[in-house]
Amino acid sequence: MNNTGSVTILQKYQRKRLNQRSQTLLVLAFGSIFLLAITVIGTLVGDIAITTNFTQKNFLPQIAHPFGTDWLGRDMLARTLKGMSISIYIGLFASVISAVIAAILGAAAATLGKKVDAVITWFIDLVMGIPHLLLLILISYAIGRGTFGVVVAVAISHWPVLTRIIRGEILQLKEANYIKIAGKLGQSKMKIVVKHMIPHVFPQFLVGLVLLFPHAILHEAALTFLGFGLPPEQPGIGIILSESMKYLSLGMWWLALFPGMVLMTTVLLFDLVGGSLRKMIDPHSAQE
Amino acid sequence: MKKERYLALCLLVIFLFTLVGCSKADKTDAGTSTKDSVVIAMDVESEPAAGFDPIMGWAAGEHTHDPLIQSTLLITKDDITIGYDLAKEYTISPDGLTWTFKIRSDVKFTDGVPLTAKDVAFTYNNAMKQATETDLSMLKSVEAIDDTTVVFHFNTPYSAFAYTAAVVGIVPEHAYNAATYGKNPIGSGRYILKQWDKGQQVILEANPNYYGEKAKMKKVSIVFMSEDASYAAAQGGQVDVAYTAPSYTVNPIKGYNILSFNTEDIRGLNLPTVPAGNKTPAKRNGETYPAGNNVTSHLAIRQAIACAIDRESIVKNVLNGYGSVAYSDSVNEPWENEAMKVAYDPAKAKAILEADGWKLNPEGIYEKQGLKAEFDLLYISSNSVRTGIAMAVKEMLKPVGIKVNPIGSSWDQIATLCYETPHVFGAGSHSPTGVRSHYYTGKNYASYSNPTVDTYIDEALAATSVEASYPLWKKAQWDGAAGVTPQADSPWVWLVEIKHIYFARENLNVIDKKIHPHGYGWTIINNVHQWSWK
Repeated sequence: MNNTGSVTILQKYQRKRLNQRSQTLLVLAFGSIFLLAITVIGTLVGDIAITTNFTQKNFLPQIAHPFGTDWLGRDMLARTLKGMSISIYIGLFASVISAVIAAILGAAAATLGKKVDAVITWFIDLVMGIPHLLLLILISYAIGRGTFGVVVAVAISHWPVLTRIIRGEILQLKEANYIKIAGKLGQSKMKIVVKHMIPHVFPQFLVGLVLLFPHAILHEAALTFLGFGLPPEQPGIGIILSESMKYLSLGMWWLALFPGMVLMTTVLLFDLVGGSLRKMIDPHSAQE
Repeated sequence: MKKERYLALCLLVIFLFTLVGCSKADKTDAGTSTKDSVVIAMDVESEPAAGFDPIMGWAAGEHTHDPLIQSTLLITKDDITIGYDLAKEYTISPDGLTWTFKIRSDVKFTDGVPLTAKDVAFTYNNAMKQATETDLSMLKSVEAIDDTTVVFHFNTPYSAFAYTAAVVGIVPEHAYNAATYGKNPIGSGRYILKQWDKGQQVILEANPNYYGEKAKMKKVSIVFMSEDASYAAAQGGQVDVAYTAPSYTVNPIKGYNILSFNTEDIRGLNLPTVPAGNKTPAKRNGETYPAGNNVTSHLAIRQAIACAIDRESIVKNVLNGYGSVAYSDSVNEPWENEAMKVAYDPAKAKAILEADGWKLNPEGIYEKQGLKAEFDLLYISSNSVRTGIAMAVKEMLKPVGIKVNPIGSSWDQIATLCYETPHVFGAGSHSPTGVRSHYYTGKNYASYSNPTVDTYIDEALAATSVEASYPLWKKAQWDGAAGVTPQADSPWVWLVEIKHIYFARENLNVIDKKIHPHGYGWTIINNVHQWSWK
């Protein structure tokens, strides 16, 4: 836009900088790479995260152990990365399941008639009506806690919001002129869905999926922190934080601070990535 | 907008745990200025689930101690020999099947009714019907002959019964109601239960009409706390005596001494001796649990583990020196067998495995006919010492080619799993019956069974006196040819004795002479009536 012949005084002194879109892309790339790095390194760390070394108990953060060591001489950096990568995997798995549930239920509610819609809407209200953490604890406890419990609990409790969005989108689409015209022109229902509806709903779905991530990760950590999630021998981030609590009174602040900060950074980054993705895909919000 | 919400959520998580950390600290603001009361922090497991009812196992179960609220027939003295409380004397018939107790006539319950032989008979006749940790299966019946004479009839001779009679408190027949007694016990002991806020605290008051030595400490409050809360409570000056764990001793608390008591509290691993797919013998209610482990059922694995663990290193590193090495469940007791000792020798461990046909695979783990030398090890994750021991065992067995996967859990879950999976057990008591509970057929966590061992245990129990039974208890462990030593069947690998450590106010005179049995809790206040403020 700037390379038209005439340049106004306002444009003349404008600082050279990336445009919105490039900025968004950069943020997206940076966030994704950072998260990917945490995941990959955490996965490759392997046994270091659970290896105890009694000659290195209770070390303050230092060059060899940037996050310090705990009362069993385990390296907190390795534990944190491992824990974070476990959380990310669980988050990934749980959000994909949640998103798939949301897509199916949302589509069903919008297309299968009033009764189905009423039932699904009722379920959405039901799940959203129960305090989320309580629901998570109930499900995880009922299934027998452990990794399985936490994955199932997180996976089957995060769908309602996205279901609502998808249901709304499809309902709106059904009334849209171009869909109606396509119908009148004799296109089959299948073709309308594949050609006209999915391309419209998919971006919403994708963004919704990514934005489920931070929720899932935080909830997994919270559930584990409260003792209803991952088993205590796993270096989960919730485990690390709840263990660190026992030693806060001894003055071992580093056990809680760094893992807590990494958790927060990860969650914020996922939110950033999701937000950037929305800007990229959804033209209406690109210049916000 | 959404971003703020996430930030808020993150902050919430952080605040949540700082809050939990703080809230535990502000419990009972104790009036420590008064000179005849004391506040003690015990671990959460010490709170008796069934209340203070001896019939339901109070004081007499797995963790034995003086019942305080009730009197017992006998007592264990400071040197773990038998003394008298209610009983004035007792005689055992030559066949060991009849014990006759003469009891004092001047003892009254706190409601003013005299304690008679009938109450004793009532207590035991009811307690033996209950499926508690108190083993009274050797009793047939108990009858009161007159007000001061009570006769115990036995199914089998049981010389160790004197130790049982030292922990079973006597309840009043006229005021016993199974549903309420645990919450409102009436006894004749040194203390009266004044108040019990379940999950929080117990308040005991001295019994003014107690027949024995008068209590100096008139009021004893006990609060139940986790390890970290106990430390924080001492730091905040809210308790006078706080139990603690070795990892908390690195930062001493001003105004408090660290008291360390010798114990009979041993940590060890049960190694199931039968292959997977077995079942435990049915309990009284018909329940059975899956039992057996395909790896530890190999004798070579069990023997190798026994000599591959550096016990000294566990004492130094996990216990910070608050402990000592242990090779049996009865360290320094008259019935301990020297043959239970084993030298730390990882090379020998490997040699044992190789002689049995195990081969190292590329991962550095021994394998035999496709079976890897790898097993899970349970531990109670809220307990820092057991966690540390589990981790240390894992690290020590790695170099000898045995892979251990520690699994943290809570006791209510472990109780059903530990017949198939080794667990970091705690054990040890003032009585030789530990040998029976660990090694007698059908009664142990290792599913161990050896007729020779059983025979010695039966003979030991049939001995006409406790003293005469000691050599037989020793033979049950090793008679020169067979037994449960690390070189023989090795169904249990004993590791360390843990000292019981407490933070106690410098000006509090804590008297506690009796060696502590397994169980961190109530033993500390066996002699609380003699404590005083300086």
